[in-house]
Amino acid sequence: MKKTLAGLGFALGLPIILVSIWWVSTVNSPNFFVPTPPELVKTFIEVWIGPALWEDVLPSVLRFLAGSAIAIVLGILLGVIVGLNRTLRDLTEPVFEFFRALPPPVLIPVLLLLFGLSNWTQIMMIVIGAIWPVLLNTIEGVRAADSVQSDTSRSYGIQGFDRVRYQILPSASPQIFTGIRQALPIGLMLMIISELFAATEGLGFQVNQFQRRFAIPEMWSGILVLGLLSILVAVLFRFVERRVLRWYHRLKDLENAA
Amino acid sequence: MQHDAEAMPLNTQSYGRTLAPEDTLLSVRGLKKVYHTDGGDIEAVRDLTFDLGKNETTCLVGPSGSGKTTLLKCIAGLLEPTSGEVVLDGKPVTGPPKKMAVVFQEYGRSLFPWLRVAENVELPLKTAGVPKAEREARVAEALEEVGLGHVPRSYPWQLSGGMQQRVAIARAIAYQPEVLLMDEPFAAVDAQTRADLEDLVRKVRKDLGISVLFVTHDIDESVYLAERVIMLSSSPTVVQEDLVVDLPAERDQLNTRSLPRFTQLRHHVYEQIQLAKKGFRPDDAVVR
Repeated sequence: MKKTLAGLGFALGLPIILVSIWWVSTVNSPNFFVPTPPELVKTFIEVWIGPALWEDVLPSVLRFLAGSAIAIVLGILLGVIVGLNRTLRDLTEPVFEFFRALPPPVLIPVLLLLFGLSNWTQIMMIVIGAIWPVLLNTIEGVRAADSVQSDTSRSYGIQGFDRVRYQILPSASPQIFTGIRQALPIGLMLMIISELFAATEGLGFQVNQFQRRFAIPEMWSGILVLGLLSILVAVLFRFVERRVLRWYHRLKDLENAA
Repeated sequence: MQHDAEAMPLNTQSYGRTLAPEDTLLSVRGLKKVYHTDGGDIEAVRDLTFDLGKNETTCLVGPSGSGKTTLLKCIAGLLEPTSGEVVLDGKPVTGPPKKMAVVFQEYGRSLFPWLRVAENVELPLKTAGVPKAEREARVAEALEEVGLGHVPRSYPWQLSGGMQQRVAIARAIAYQPEVLLMDEPFAAVDAQTRADLEDLVRKVRKDLGISVLFVTHDIDESVYLAERVIMLSSSPTVVQEDLVVDLPAERDQLNTRSLPRFTQLRHHVYEQIQLAKKGFRPDDAVVR
């Protein structure tokens, strides 16, 4: 209990200080471009607690979830196939490096031209950007499978899909999660960017609209929504990662203690 | 032996023993393994021929770098020999056989750290499609056999080295092999634990009526464990000598190790290994 409180104190300490500074510096000197904290909270509630939640935030979030899920599944799937096959690995490495180096937003105009404006174009955008860290980390994790573990699997007749499921994937899972951790912020970023370019609804679209209409507190409140969303995603990721990789963290703790 | 006039003659020969088919479980015939590397070919194993009998423990001893692990991996079907063959139960070994289980030296890397003790033992049975009830019974029995019935829910890395190697042995037992291959399994545990594990191997072999092929560089260990010790030359490997260990079947650390015969056998193996280290090779081994 005491530890939880202390943790909470550390987590909230700096934000409280920053908000205080912001408050003090804005409360007596009204600035058109920067709202005061109470003003922002009021706007936040007015704008986002209501239909905007369903009409703008939810579609964005759903596209993000769909895109990230596809990127993760596809990334792991391809990563396992490529990681297990040396020829495939040598063949694909330069191509993957090229696509990974390409900033995904440059593909937005291309995708819009090819597929027009739709949810799927935006989801595809997220997939194209978020898949690389998952894919490359999975390949690396699979490639680095321990030789004694692999000999063990072989000598006990654990092969094919069983080997992937019971040896390769678990042994690569710490690295796969590193990839997912890098992929999620990219997914969020592309969720917003794809809406800035061309969209009729969504969080990014609305923030852009507010900015054009000089609805400054509303614009800031949209940014706040995005910030909160990022935190939520990070917390959920941590929760899942802690559960799936519990063996790994405990093993590392033990090694570090020794 | 010159320093012990009353010693009984040793039952030994300078090439690998071959047995009658009905007594033979595993045959190694003319096994050769050459590694092709960028720096040229490396001949790890030149020519090995011997048989493994039923219901016995055979130890392979040799100086370090004598291709022991290579040989074991060829027998286990994990490495393809350059020439020659391994035959188990009359069938040539082309991949890891169902009737064979391997215990590796690196227990920490051989056990899967994401699985609990019982799950590690269970995994090979699960993927082989053994029904759940039978699986659980075999896992419990195997863990009981190695004295680990009380830690099925622990993770291997929470246990000591000796206990981890017991888990690996339990996994091998539950798999119900006819041959158990052990590759320097106790090289990384302390002397006390090692003695216990040696006794465990003798007990398991007897309880299950299987054959054990045990690779070690420890001469005492080989004589204590085995019914037969095969000494390997330095690389490229041939059989240097094949020695019958005619110690009583019931062995214990204290009494067996103080028997004059034990000392004599140990002495002999030691001398042979020293010779092997100096590069001595029996002339007729290649011919056989």
